Amino acid sequence: MTPKEALASPWLTVRVQIALGLFFVAAALPKLVDPPSFAHMVYNYRLVPGAFVNLMALVMPWLELLAGLALILGIWRRVSTGLVGALLLVFIAAISLNLARGNAIDCGCFDVAQANKTIDERLADMRLDILRDLGMLLMVAQILWVKGREGHKIVPSTL
Amino acid sequence: MNLRRHLLEAATVVLAAILCALVANALASRERKLALVGSYPNALVVPEKAEAIAPAAPASNGGAPASAKSPFEGKHPGPSEKSAPKATVPPQGSEARTFSSSPDDLLKRFPPHNKPYVEISGDDVAWLVARGVLVLDARRTKDYEEGHIALARSFPVWESDIDARVTALVGEGRDGAIPVVLYCSGGDCEDSHMLAQKLFGAGFNNLLVYRDGWPDWVKRRGSSVTGPES
Repeated sequence: MTPKEALASPWLTVRVQIALGLFFVAAALPKLVDPPSFAHMVYNYRLVPGAFVNLMALVMPWLELLAGLALILGIWRRVSTGLVGALLLVFIAAISLNLARGNAIDCGCFDVAQANKTIDERLADMRLDILRDLGMLLMVAQILWVKGREGHKIVPSTL
Repeated sequence: MNLRRHLLEAATVVLAAILCALVANALASRERKLALVGSYPNALVVPEKAEAIAPAAPASNGGAPASAKSPFEGKHPGPSEKSAPKATVPPQGSEARTFSSSPDDLLKRFPPHNKPYVEISGDDVAWLVARGVLVLDARRTKDYEEGHIALARSFPVWESDIDARVTALVGEGRDGAIPVVLYCSGGDCEDSHMLAQKLFGAGFNNLLVYRDGWPDWVKRRGSSVTGPES
């Protein structure tokens, strides 16, 4: 089996899909439990107009949860993968912009509790967050690439 | 055809997320609920480096930034500027023992400044608390219940009923010139500053933000209580 064939194998693709889905479900849960804290996180990014901060804090976790569950369950895979990819691009852009302008923030990605970190620690965490999101974006790329290559042959039964 | 189907599926997921969010928020408890439309005047203002919060005027002030300069400069003791070293001293001697709640005493030391807020030190707060001024805790309800300055009232800015609380406070008919102390968690916490902006817009013009907040109060062993608001 060539590396390309291995990368395109349904066995790998299904696992990547489930892992990505689990990441998103895990990311959504703390935000769903405590929306005001997540709204605070969204506010700290200083990218969302004040009127929309709360709305975004309420809707985004549900979008993450539904897209994650769809990936895990293999429902509407192309669309759910696309949504996850779009969310990751937004996250990467938002963190990068704040990194560039020196606004040290807690990511709020998997935890919405205020971490008492120094500015330098927060900036270092933001760089790691971007790397992690880029890694997940690679997972999205793998799923979409295989789907584009093989159509709708990926099914959970290949587990 | 495929594109149309995919767009339809994506729209369905987004609509389902919006619906779930609205239903969950409607059913959430007060501490977990959010107002659908937020009111955060500084949502797009990036804090200056090495300084977590930049004072800013509320919308009612035409959006012009407020000066961080203390209006009490030259008066001693009084509130200190944010960027300046602590310039105030704790009440000493006969002053420390004279626990007067006379508005004149308060206004002499903390005259109205007509800014959204002025930051003050823990010593100032101790002086004011001893004289029974109104103290507002801007942290989340759970944090308030875990411990707060004695007699402080809970005004959690990130919870849905904050505007109702502000309206109720205004309805109490308090004199807006009398100092009000606001605090949150110190450091880069700006909840008290956000609350100050709301109150300033509601007519309070002598709002004093406890710069170092709750951690400093604990450190200096100030009078505190736990449990829900009585």
